Amino acid sequence: MHPAIHLTLVSLIQQVLVGLGKTTTLFIVSSGLTLVLGVLRIPNISHGALYMVGAFLAYSITRMLGGGAAGFFASLLLAPLAVAFLSLLAERFLLSRLYERDHLMLLLFTFALALIFDDLVKIVWGSGYRSLPLPAMFQGSFSFLGLALPRYSLFLLCVGPLVAIGLWFLINRTKIGKISRAAAVHREMVGAVGINVGWVFAAVFMIGCFLAGLGGALVAPTQSISQGMDASIIIEAFLIVIMGGLGNVWGALLGSLIFGLTDSLGVLILPQFSIVFPYAAVIVVLLLRPSGLLKSAW
Amino acid sequence: MVAPSLSLAYRARSLLRLETLAFPTAAAVLFLLPLVLPEFYVYFAALVLVTGLFATSLNLVLGYGGMYQFHHAVFYGAGAYAFALMLAKAHAPLWPAFLFAPLVSAMLGLLIGAICVRLSKLYFGMLQLSLGSLVWAVVFRWYSFTGGGDGLHEIPLPDAISTTRGAYYLTAVVVLICMVLLYRIVNSPFGKIFQAIRDNPQRSEAIGVDIRLHQLKGEVLAAFFAGIAGALYVVVEGSVVPDMMFWTASMEVMVMCLLGGWYTFLGPLFGAAVILGLRTFAGIYTDHWPLILGIILMAVILFFPEGVLGLLLRRANSKMELSTETEPE
Amino acid sequence: MRKSWAFIVCLGIVFCLRPASCPAAEAAPITIGIVDTYSGPASYYSNDVRDAFLLMVDKINASGGILGRKVQVETRDDKFRVDVGLAEAKELIMREHVNVLMGTINSSLALALADLCRKEKVPFLATMAKSDRLTGADGNRYVFSVNENTAMIGKAAALGLAPRPFNRYWIAGDDYEYGHALAGSLWKNMKKLKPGAVLAGESWWKVGEPDFTPYITAILAAKPDCLIVATGGSDCVSFLKAIKASGLNHKLPIFMHTAADSVKSLGLDGPQGVLCTGTYYTYFPKTAANAQFVAEFEKRYHREPNSGALYGYLAAEFIQKACEKSGGMDTEKFIDALQGLSVESPVGSVTMRAFDHQVVLPMFMGVTKKEPGFKYLVAEDNVTIPGEQLMPSIAEIKQARAKH
Repeated sequence: MHPAIHLTLVSLIQQVLVGLGKTTTLFIVSSGLTLVLGVLRIPNISHGALYMVGAFLAYSITRMLGGGAAGFFASLLLAPLAVAFLSLLAERFLLSRLYERDHLMLLLFTFALALIFDDLVKIVWGSGYRSLPLPAMFQGSFSFLGLALPRYSLFLLCVGPLVAIGLWFLINRTKIGKISRAAAVHREMVGAVGINVGWVFAAVFMIGCFLAGLGGALVAPTQSISQGMDASIIIEAFLIVIMGGLGNVWGALLGSLIFGLTDSLGVLILPQFSIVFPYAAVIVVLLLRPSGLLKSAW
Repeated sequence: MVAPSLSLAYRARSLLRLETLAFPTAAAVLFLLPLVLPEFYVYFAALVLVTGLFATSLNLVLGYGGMYQFHHAVFYGAGAYAFALMLAKAHAPLWPAFLFAPLVSAMLGLLIGAICVRLSKLYFGMLQLSLGSLVWAVVFRWYSFTGGGDGLHEIPLPDAISTTRGAYYLTAVVVLICMVLLYRIVNSPFGKIFQAIRDNPQRSEAIGVDIRLHQLKGEVLAAFFAGIAGALYVVVEGSVVPDMMFWTASMEVMVMCLLGGWYTFLGPLFGAAVILGLRTFAGIYTDHWPLILGIILMAVILFFPEGVLGLLLRRANSKMELSTETEPE
Repeated sequence: MRKSWAFIVCLGIVFCLRPASCPAAEAAPITIGIVDTYSGPASYYSNDVRDAFLLMVDKINASGGILGRKVQVETRDDKFRVDVGLAEAKELIMREHVNVLMGTINSSLALALADLCRKEKVPFLATMAKSDRLTGADGNRYVFSVNENTAMIGKAAALGLAPRPFNRYWIAGDDYEYGHALAGSLWKNMKKLKPGAVLAGESWWKVGEPDFTPYITAILAAKPDCLIVATGGSDCVSFLKAIKASGLNHKLPIFMHTAADSVKSLGLDGPQGVLCTGTYYTYFPKTAANAQFVAEFEKRYHREPNSGALYGYLAAEFIQKACEKSGGMDTEKFIDALQGLSVESPVGSVTMRAFDHQVVLPMFMGVTKKEPGFKYLVAEDNVTIPGEQLMPSIAEIKQARAKH
């Protein structure tokens, strides 16, 4: 068996566009992770589990609303909101007691959360897999100049920038964004000027987890929704965050682009070993810049 | 009242006595155990010893060195694969293969360590997690060499150690030797500097300690012992699979260290025994082991951050202090 | 304080050392241990293996057991993890002293268990693992497989595909034992049947790949005549969805084993026209035995059985018949009795080949299609390929074992 290489300009462009679609989910998930890391300094392992919960919730919500396009769009909003609410409970009742603790404890604590979420998913939805159809409007692909572009990839391509702009607005133009940026740099100082840091942290944690839920809801119609779908995305998200610079949302964007594109171009160049490309990219970046591409938040 | 120096000397002496007694007692108990235990518990004891050595090697850098070793399982897996591949593919005799395993792990520790020690704390941990995942991905993908996702099975072991009891005795001897060596390392000048770096890196640097060099040495040592544990795992189970070096395996062994107690030498071994015991016996009654583990882990972090053994030791210590203080009167 | 700790430790030891099953005054029960995956997507099949097996065991016990001995079943969830499954299997063998061990959908664990059972001399029935190494290269006296393996699937697919007018093939699959072994067997048989067949390329993705779009666009760019998909479990579902979303089934003939099993969970939204092989459907073969089995299963569990249920059924039948034939539960006699044994099943009479302990199972090749009366796509136009044609020859097995 010997692989053949099919490298034409058309297929290259097509693969780049598809890779960008994949980048979107990676960016949404990893930006939430990096936000929490940057402001709260929590390496949140349960981020992946929340992504999975988001996908399962999207399944149930879409089913409840009849399964059509309306249900799909509603689930894109409702599932992440429910995940955010769940994370608020976890933050207020559990994590907020641990902010003074070592990062190691926080990491292990969020691992415990991930285990519990994982098992709760099994209790609520059963252990098998679930599947959600793509809304009819996103099925099939567009033909454009000889390119076949899956409609859903194009939709994802639109969602990605929307989320990026939303995050930019939130961080730079809103009060909570400004406070959280300040808190990331100097936590005690923000508390000293009379701001309730606890609630700022809760809000940022919620936003971060909202993004995890959104990522899950976005992939729900494209794959089988099952327990364990969090194991690989959480590592990929951590790699992206590391590559981009801890706590830097734009770093997450850059990291996702590198990760998504090396992955999808790798499929074209050497399909048998495509998984190695993104990892190799991470290693190269980290060898050259051990603390990430962009400035870390701390 | 006794002068503090006297009470300290008294405690040091009693500790010393404890230590000289500990080794022969442990050796005797480990030797006699299989004579009274049914076969399954002999196997289980071997598994606890292997996992305990693995956890103790992690604790060297995590507990004593204060390094965020987030992906220690990669060295455990590297040792297991090196051992299994030497036996199955190179048809090497047992002992060379057994020595080769920790060397491969230590080399990997040197490589990963050299890249990671430039950074500190969380950054160190995250970089280590990524590099470890890369190693895992290579092992998982290199189908023709490592067996890919299937791992390697039917590894040709000599008959003497392919039985449950044979495997147990080899494990017990090697683990006992390794634990003594690790104990020596922890209490050596190197170990003391290592703990000083953990407690106050700035001050250590100010008195001329090369932090990175010490951390790199620690990383290589920890990887070396993890490699031995990995090879022993192959002896006990007869198989090696990439699951062993997946990141969740690293989390689990960290949980063992936490549960037993970071700052105690035997804590991780104790934690390994508790976790493996609970997993085995909970599995008989319920399929919800992750939920149980999650809740235990949360409770430990919230209520006993120094670990179960750490807590017991502290209580015992404060009692001992009380008794030494009142004794002479 | 210290006393209470000592008490707890003693209690723990007593608890652990107590005999696992109290020997009753009457004949001791026959215990069967199952190590399988009951968490995560793989449990879709494992649950049905267990449930069908329990259904049969209850029937056996209701009619007085096997030779007057009740059958008792112990199950353990391996969570798709080899280390966990191995520890559980040792617990079942050494502590519960099970007479027969069964399991698991995880091929890698099944291989490890086969090795363990050889050492411990316990019969092991592989219920769902498809690795042909189990009864092929790594086969041993104590291992039996009651399901089709990758060698058989590959041969069935080659037999079904070779007569069709495809010359350039693309193979895509899980980078896992199952994917590689299936693809390897298929291509070996294809080259034998059709020496002119060309491999245009391959893609291998990790298990649980979240997004197949990049692979599909790359495959389309190469314009092969036919796509062979060697993927298993929940990845089948994900890939079928990707086929539907990209409209790939309208551009290219696609083959996938168990596609008809997986397409059920997509309801009527699954892709039509996908070529598939399978061993068992509730709607095929249309025999009285199958209809009765489906009715019994649905009555008890309120859902339709999938192909896992067939293996649970076969395991129970084989154990019962072999036990009765050998007149007890002596391991070596049990194994001798099981060799070459035939049992009746929903897919007809099925035999355990004596030489390699591989069940001779027929397979059906059909195509996914909407049919009135079904809430999901079904495999239609099924052609039955008899099991005898699918088995690797004994010479091949001898060769593989000698090489080992």
